[in-house]
This record gives sequence, structure tokens and C-alpha cells, in this order.
Amino acid sequence: MHGPLIDTLARQGVTRRTFMKYCATLASMMALPPAAGRAMAEAMASAPAATKRPSVIWLPFQECTGCTESITRSHSPTLEGLIFDAISLDYQETLMAAAGHQAEEALHAAMKANEGKYLLIVDGSIPLGLDGAYSCIAGKSNLDTLKEVAKGAAAIVAMGSCAAFGGIPKANPNPTGAVSVSDIIKDKPIINIPGCPPIPVVMTGVLAHFLTFGSLPELDGKGRPKAFYGETIHDRCYRRPFYDQGKFAKTFDDEGARNGWCLFELGCKGPVTYNACATVKWNGGTSWPVESGHGCLGCSEPDFWDGGGFYKALSMPADPLKMAAGAAVAGAAVGVAMSFANRGKKGAAKAAHETTTLADLEK
Amino acid sequence: MPLDAIPIVVVNSAANQGGADTGLSGNAPVLLREIAELARRLLDSGESAAIDLRALPLTPADLDWLRETLGQGQVMATLEAEGESTLSETVCPGVWWVTHRNEQGAVASEFIEVTFVPELLKAHPDDVAIGLEHLELLISDLS
Repeated sequence: MHGPLIDTLARQGVTRRTFMKYCATLASMMALPPAAGRAMAEAMASAPAATKRPSVIWLPFQECTGCTESITRSHSPTLEGLIFDAISLDYQETLMAAAGHQAEEALHAAMKANEGKYLLIVDGSIPLGLDGAYSCIAGKSNLDTLKEVAKGAAAIVAMGSCAAFGGIPKANPNPTGAVSVSDIIKDKPIINIPGCPPIPVVMTGVLAHFLTFGSLPELDGKGRPKAFYGETIHDRCYRRPFYDQGKFAKTFDDEGARNGWCLFELGCKGPVTYNACATVKWNGGTSWPVESGHGCLGCSEPDFWDGGGFYKALSMPADPLKMAAGAAVAGAAVGVAMSFANRGKKGAAKAAHETTTLADLEK
Repeated sequence: MPLDAIPIVVVNSAANQGGADTGLSGNAPVLLREIAELARRLLDSGESAAIDLRALPLTPADLDWLRETLGQGQVMATLEAEGESTLSETVCPGVWWVTHRNEQGAVASEFIEVTFVPELLKAHPDDVAIGLEHLELLISDLS
């Protein structure tokens, strides 16, 4: 097991054992069998030396910069950071020192020098309303920029739920006419890395795959890398045994919640959400939503914002208004009268210091 | 309200066992049979194997139970590599409990390895060659 990557790492004081440990952990995160760690270490270590670091252009569109925050908060400095050293990030508005005309020049220089070879990363959705006027960079609509830059890209990575599926900007009633990258670009390979934000190591994993095997990882029907999005949150959740035993938390402060039972009845979207949070976790492996006592919101699935309520169990009917009427104000008239009654009940609960119930959260 | 007035109970720790709610899912004892099968295979064919504990639906209490049941053997190796890793043999020789931690001390991955010596402990020939060069340098300095 030797090659340019091992040599590069060795120069930076990273030993072979450290690298093997990293690969074992990465394989575990990618839900590969334990033996794959060693195979990966060998493949990565003996990957042929690139004559030049591959160019990466990162375009931000209609987004909140949360995806960039997530990636830059990956627990650095680690080997993941070192793998990032293996690329040349030629344009990234938030991170680059250049601004204005200088930044635009850098973008066009990188596009010209690496025509047909650069990797394009997009975060944010693309607004089509008012001829794209809702979001512009350097006097150009996002739509025009995407079409221009995508033309010379080898592949496109749609980072985050907005770029992958339209995300929150696309949520009903979608005022800006937001669409995803794959709605516009049809002639390039596109990898979707959804999540709001996506997990940093998923990004590094895909990059590591691209760098070492020279190809894109295997994708599922929604364009997501199978290694990270192959199983549901529910299937890899440490609380899954409680679901199987029928032990559920009914409110956020009952005995079941304190015992760490399954959050299905509190609206956890784990069973229909494909992501790696349950194994990779967040903030350097500290915890993740379910471990912190809150159900999964399903942020890596298309249209998660319009799913009918974060606190509604998946087994409940999707019409929020009728559910509320049934649960909280039995016998009350529908419509305006009901919403007043609900408000009244909320106030009363507050005054009496009542335990907040699931029905209250649904209002 | 002072912070310590909020009742926080760690339910799934080994210290809090007893009664119906021990946090045990019943998935851990099954693993013992799988480990036994892997040990048998190691004896018959010399083939090493590993179980990724993160890939299985195990509660923290399950892991504690498994760790306690398998016990601590004679060998315990520590690897300092971007965070501490421990490779310790259990009471059953050939069955190793491997824990990789990140720099913050959180567990990054955890395996049970059934092997004579974990791969990670062995020195790689390339590294031995580098070590030999260093030795020769040391020797040449003597004269």
C-alpha cells in the first residue's frame, strides 16, 4: 500500500495507521462491510498522481449559506480537510478572498482553463419567476449562470435540499418559482446530496470517491449516493428496537421520552427519510436529532417542508385542519370558530401550566 | 429556574440497570452466536472477520452489556492517530474490541474483530523499510 496520497499524507505527518483508521471509519459511515475499509485504503493510497489538482467551482444560488456553514464546520483539521487539499476550489463566493470583478474573472479563468473537466458544486435553488430576477449575481440571473457554467462541467454536485429538490424556496406557494438543478440541466451527470444542511462527511465521501476511483459513486433513483442514502434513518436508528417493541414517547416530556423510546408518534419522519444521520451523526459525531430527543424532520427528502406537519405521525392522515379539530376541540364548529377555540385552549394551557400535547403543537 | 432543577436522567447507562427499563433491546445476546461462528471460521480457515457495531440496531445499554459480557483480556493496545483508538482483546482470545475515537474524544466507529492480531497493529513492510533506514542512520552516527 503505497502511492502519492500516502506520500502526501506522510509529508503532513499523517501515518499509515492514521490513514487506515480513517478509512475504516469512512467505510463504516458509508455503510460498507468492515473489510471494505482496507480495500478503500489500498485504492485511495495507490491512486495515480493527478498532474494537476481537479478544479472545483462552487455556485451559490437561492440559499441561506447553511450548506457552506455545514461543510466548513466539518471537524477540522482532519483527514477530511486533507482530502479537500487535493482539489482546487477556484470559485466559492463565501470563502474566496476575491470580490466583485476579480471574483468573476477567477470564475471565467477556471472555466476556460479546465473546460470539460471541472466539478461544479451548486447550492441553492434556481428561481424562474420574473425571468429569474429574484436572484442575480454580477447582473446575471442564476438560471443564465447555471446554464453557462454547467456547459463545461464534467459533473454537477447539487449540494443541499434546495439545489437537489428545490428545498424551502420551493415550499408552497413557491413565490419565486424555484426549481432544482436537475429541472434545468439534463445533459450532465448530477449527484444530489440533499439535507438541510447535508452532512459534511457525505460531501467528503463523494469527493474521496471521485478522487480515488475516478468515477461518481453509485446513485439511487433520486440521484443520491447509495452509500449514504441507501437506508432510512429508521433502519439505522438506535431507537429502532423500541419501535419494534411498540414502546413510544407520546409527548416530549412523558416517561417514554425520558426513557428514550421511539419518537414515531411525535412525528419522526425517520421511516421515510434516506440519510446517514443515525450513523454519522452531527458536530463531529457528538449527537443527532433523535439522540437529542426530537424526531427527524425528513430534511433530505423532496418537499419535506410541505409534508403536512413535523409533529404529525406518519400514520396519521395528512389533512392538518381536520386532525386538529378531532384531537383538540371535539364538537366545535369548523372554520374560524375552531381556530379561535384552539387559541383559547393554548392560552388556557399556558395559564394552567399544562403539559403541552401533540395537538397543541399542531396548531 | 436553576439548571440543576431540570431532571435529567441518564437511562441507558449500565449504572442504571434493573427493572423493566434497562434500555436493553435484546439484540446483543444474539451477537455472541455470530462471534462464536466467526471464531470457528478463524480456527478452521484462518480467515479474519469484523462486525461493525455502528451498523447494528444496538442501544448504548446493549453495547455496555456486550462489552461487560465479553470482558477484558490480557492485551490492551492504544493507538494515537487523530484521536485515540483502543484495541483490546476480550476474555476470549482472538476476539478484539476496537474503538476509534476522533480528536474530540467521541466514538467515530466501533468494531468487534475476530482475528489473531488486528491488521492495524502490524507494521507495514514499507514502514519497516523506513524504520530500517533510520536505524542505519543511527548506526552511522555512532562511528
